[in-house]
Amino acid sequence: MSEASWGMYGSWQEAENFLGKVIGQDVAVDAVELGSIRRWLEPKEFACELHTDATVAKSAGFDDVVAPSTMVFTYGLPAYWAPGDGHASMGDEPRQIPIPVIFNVPAPCTLSFASNIDMEFFEPMTVGDVITRTSRLKSIEHKELRVGKGAFMAQEDTYTNQRGENVALVLLTIFRFTPPEKSRDSE
Amino acid sequence: MNANTQRSFESVSVGDELSPISIPITLQRLVMEAGANRDFSLIHHDRDVARSTGAADAYMNTFFISGMFERLLREWMGYTGRLNKITNLRMKVFNVVGDTVTFNGRVSELLAAEQQVVLDLWSASEQGTTVTAQATVTLTTV
Repeated sequence: MSEASWGMYGSWQEAENFLGKVIGQDVAVDAVELGSIRRWLEPKEFACELHTDATVAKSAGFDDVVAPSTMVFTYGLPAYWAPGDGHASMGDEPRQIPIPVIFNVPAPCTLSFASNIDMEFFEPMTVGDVITRTSRLKSIEHKELRVGKGAFMAQEDTYTNQRGENVALVLLTIFRFTPPEKSRDSE
Repeated sequence: MNANTQRSFESVSVGDELSPISIPITLQRLVMEAGANRDFSLIHHDRDVARSTGAADAYMNTFFISGMFERLLREWMGYTGRLNKITNLRMKVFNVVGDTVTFNGRVSELLAAEQQVVLDLWSASEQGTTVTAQATVTLTTV
């Protein structure tokens, strides 16, 4: 569950203005490459030569070493700092993962949790590919749960490579809500 | 797993179980994972923040969980299988530091025309079932 400081606060009408629209887009900070794949495999104790050995990958029908399909999430992320950005100071708000449906869509909610994720994979990610993630607000379904009143907000992320081919489609459903004692009048 | 590992569609039956894989969740592993997958949400590596949200400790993120399911499927499929979908992935219980999490799968349906296999996936720990999902993969024929 995320804390209130994560997301934009606003009315449901403001949130609904974003329906069907692009709410975030990021071009990967790093191209698909062997070092980041190896570091991703390491904590999972995942030994698979498709992801490390070009000869094996080619014999399995790929053009080169391929990244694991679920690594698309990582390759769709922007940098946490880049040249030209300001320098950090002690006490700054920590920079966490950018989730547009939470960060960029205002809603009268102070907390959230991810409820459901669906992912579909298309073109493989081979070494050298650069991934772009485009996020749209797909739906808002109002609901009152035990934890509070809010809405299931679905974010559709389309991942494409530098040739414009679809790599993955991910539907992330997040319940944004306000606990009963924190309800505000701005809904 | 080696280059000769390859599961054919014809060799699979509904009810087949995948060899489970287990992994101990330590804070060091979560930190390694965060550095590798670049999800720096504090709940996944800062114990105090995680506990302040109601979790017992820092816990696995979606990227880590879906990656472990991919490992489970890849080790079962071999090199020539293709992962098409992981759907309806639901986190029921946090996978926290101190848990040993086991990832499991079972064949639930065969789609002969497409050479696709549908599987139920789940993870479990000392706390019971922690995550459920379904997957669809394509296997080659003999």
